[in-house]
Amino acid sequence: MILTAIILTGIGSYLMRVFFIFALARYQFPPIMLQALEYVAPTVMAALVVSLLTTPNGELVAGVPEIVGLVGTAIVAKVSGNHILALLTGMTTFWLVGWIV
Amino acid sequence: MSTERSSPVISGALGALPLFIPAIPFAFVFGVVVANAGIPEWLGWSSSPIIFGGAIQVTLFTLIGEGASVAAAVSAALVVGARHMLYSVALAPQFQNQPTWFRWVGPYVLIDQVFVLSQLNPIKNPDTFRRYFLAAGFTFWSLWMLFTAIGVVLGPAIPASWGVEFAAPVLFVSLMMAASNRPDKIGAALLAMIMTLLFADLPNRAGLLVAVLISVLIMLLITRRGQP
Repeated sequence: MILTAIILTGIGSYLMRVFFIFALARYQFPPIMLQALEYVAPTVMAALVVSLLTTPNGELVAGVPEIVGLVGTAIVAKVSGNHILALLTGMTTFWLVGWIV
Repeated sequence: MSTERSSPVISGALGALPLFIPAIPFAFVFGVVVANAGIPEWLGWSSSPIIFGGAIQVTLFTLIGEGASVAAAVSAALVVGARHMLYSVALAPQFQNQPTWFRWVGPYVLIDQVFVLSQLNPIKNPDTFRRYFLAAGFTFWSLWMLFTAIGVVLGPAIPASWGVEFAAPVLFVSLMMAASNRPDKIGAALLAMIMTLLFADLPNRAGLLVAVLISVLIMLLITRRGQP
């Protein structure tokens, strides 16, 4: 079952990466489709963050350390554009606030 | 001649190294997720060569660990990986004058960091681009194989009280901000957060998919209003 899931996901994720490399030689996508695709990355990342902070029953399990850590991460990521710095900030503030609270 | 051939390979590999650093704690998070899902180490690790996408692998095993169905876990993991279609679109012109084998092999190592590298250093020469891309891609690939192997063994040994698994939402927030390089994209991200919270109680985490679809549709409606 799990191996099936891994292989299906592997095939699916490969097809998504390879599809437009071949398809775009012939087709021109309308602007509204391209705009829709542009929103996929930020919305999925955002949805995944919230999804990770909720239980399968839909309860939010984020406390003060989590919220402060993630807001800190967002600010540093936006200002610096540096993933390493953002990661360090997020983890450090999460640990510090968790230790104080 | 040999210098011209080796230089894009070396610069590709060296460009990949610093971008891999944030992926190291993520490889340990991956190890914890695999352990929490009760999946054997080798089976969890096999997803590294088969899938090769950290967020996709973590999502798949997180949902399997939560008891989601295979269909729900796979579709949610693929939604997480849907951004790779954008990379595929954006890189299509540079792949047009490439040999067919590279069009098949290149996308296998097309991940966030490799895409960013290829955008930061736009290379006109097809041969140079191909060597640079493959060097960067397979440097990431090799390191990810190594560190996820270490991760599945050592990840669960890290005390849960350290909260290392919090690196996952932190990394996604960081990726979200990198992906939101326009105000409307930040708006779309905030909308998706609210929608995910609203639909969080849907079975098998289907809320993630629903929230993304609704948010994208709303953003299209808002931004297209009044436009010709």
